[in-house]
Amino acid sequence: MTIFLQATVEGLSLAAIYSLVAIGFVLIYKSMDVLSFAQPALAVVGAGIISSLAVDRGIPFWLALILGIFLTGVLSLIIERTFLRPMVGEPVFSVAILTIGIDILLRTVLDSWIGINPRYLGDPFPTFGNFGAINVGGVNLKFLELTALVTAILIILILSVFFKRSKYGVAMRATSFDQEAALAQGINVGRIFGLAWFIAGILAAFAGFFITGGFNTLGQFSFLIALRALPAVVIGGLDSIPGAVVGSIIIGLTQGYVAYYQIPFENLIGFSLGSGFSLLAPYLIMFVILIFRPDGLFGTEEVERV
Amino acid sequence: MRGRPNLYTDYNKESAIFSNNTQKSWFFIMVAFSFSLCFTASEYWIYLLTSSFLMSIAAWGLNIVSGFAGQINLAHGFFVGIGTYTSAVLGGIAGANVIGFELDMLIWLPVAGITAAIVGLIIAPITVRLKGLNLGLVTLALVFIGSHLFSNFKSLTGGAGLGRKVARLKLFGIYLENGYQIGDYFLEKNQILYLLSLTLCILCGLGIKNLVRSRAGRAYSAIRDGDIAAEAIGINIFRYKASAFALSSFFGGISGAMFFTVSGGVEPGTFNLLYSIVFVAIVVIGGAGTVLGPLFGAFFYTMFPAIIQLLLHVFEIGEQSLPLNLGQIERILFGLFIISFLIFEPRGLWGIWFRLRNYFKAWPFSY
Repeated sequence: MTIFLQATVEGLSLAAIYSLVAIGFVLIYKSMDVLSFAQPALAVVGAGIISSLAVDRGIPFWLALILGIFLTGVLSLIIERTFLRPMVGEPVFSVAILTIGIDILLRTVLDSWIGINPRYLGDPFPTFGNFGAINVGGVNLKFLELTALVTAILIILILSVFFKRSKYGVAMRATSFDQEAALAQGINVGRIFGLAWFIAGILAAFAGFFITGGFNTLGQFSFLIALRALPAVVIGGLDSIPGAVVGSIIIGLTQGYVAYYQIPFENLIGFSLGSGFSLLAPYLIMFVILIFRPDGLFGTEEVERV
Repeated sequence: MRGRPNLYTDYNKESAIFSNNTQKSWFFIMVAFSFSLCFTASEYWIYLLTSSFLMSIAAWGLNIVSGFAGQINLAHGFFVGIGTYTSAVLGGIAGANVIGFELDMLIWLPVAGITAAIVGLIIAPITVRLKGLNLGLVTLALVFIGSHLFSNFKSLTGGAGLGRKVARLKLFGIYLENGYQIGDYFLEKNQILYLLSLTLCILCGLGIKNLVRSRAGRAYSAIRDGDIAAEAIGINIFRYKASAFALSSFFGGISGAMFFTVSGGVEPGTFNLLYSIVFVAIVVIGGAGTVLGPLFGAFFYTMFPAIIQLLLHVFEIGEQSLPLNLGQIERILFGLFIISFLIFEPRGLWGIWFRLRNYFKAWPFSY
């Protein structure tokens, strides 16, 4: 039972991280029909900015965290303005490949900055170590994981209020519904694209911090964790924010349970699934779900006209 | 119709492999030139050219599925890997923890392609159902599933970090790894590889050209331009999408079987996400949906590290004085090339070539 609870907690905190990245994917996809493969790269770049501010420049941690997250949003905005704006109206495939180019660009610069040794992001509570942990009935609760969970829930709440109540939120929904009709209503669609990328950048940076914070550290392969938000988005459906959250929970929990129950299960069936199978499980689930529901669990079915 | 190269009087002439004598003569000049390079070029250039030939075979494969049939495939590296390991098992030497049968190249080369094609067919029920971005994402999953399998089937692949030796070069029962004596002339191993790759490349190139002008090629283009419309005019979507995937994997498998014989060994970590993306980039940079494009792209991709080194040498910039190392500069430029080709010249290098050719065709009336 303890193992089960531990796996659940870790799975949920992973789900929180995935959902932050996944919502970014969905926002960009809904606003401009672009699947941005650069999102995981933005997450680790955000962590890199935080680390360079907090550790290399010596800026107080909390200030560095806020500044780093904001700067990632700005970087994301710049990317949209320079690379994505000329591609409006081009085939989806071309734009997706273009974002892969951006991803290569961002990660190469980041990797050369990281170097061989993983980077540390700084920690305002040096006495705890790794942001501390608490033990409740044999279940080890890391504060960083709990914070990730709370932050993700808060951000999702804020975003849902933003989309329902605020002027720009409604404008974003209108744009995702029909860009030309939105233009005719006096909505600045270009600004909405920028806003979607800005929010996605900020969410990615949050996720980047939770992935690499404390003793997790930022290495050259950290982006693979953020990349696992992609299966989450696909499971939920590319154009559904609730879907992204549900998909993230499915992926996160699967990964958590597989990590803890793989060895007993292997003993049961009699052959090895291979080390690191828990990292593969999200992709397998995506594979299976897409066979039965090509548009994901919550995605709207595409209407095609000849 | 002498002197009127663009006047076609029947369909057969228009869809011929070489539509006029100029193209035909250029083709044979280039082939003769490429064969002569084997005996004149330096070892480094022979290596680069061999890689380019093999890369372009794989890129042609991806071009069938992405360029002609219009389906996103981010997992081409996975099929290349299947080709590599099939050939390594069939043609390689058995080691302490890997199996190998040391068969002839006549067996392992086609079987590598066929195995990759079969795997392409096995996943066809999934890939055919999906289209657009979802297909891209499923193939992305395939990359990760593939690299997991490659690192865990240790008896076939040697396991992550260790790797294994690939297939031996044994053609018609003769081992060619230490060169081969023909009369007075001694052919080095790299020259033999060069000749083999060049021959394969020419055969595959003609094969692609033939495919494009065949019934299947036209069906692929119809599916790319509008799959519902294609279905309405009686094209069996399942059959052609699946066959596009299988053919594409076949080319990938052939290329993979040969590619690592240059270096002699292969490690499962090679077939990562970036490896698959390289092929997509080659097709995009070269020009998707064209016959010559992937060839241009593959040459560009393999040659451009050498070009950067040459430029650094010409301008006498020391490698140490740069903030990034060469590999990083290459990757940054690579990313920039993908982005700028998509924004400024979506038809790729082939588009540039096409415009240049037309410019000089109509010269001096270049407008």
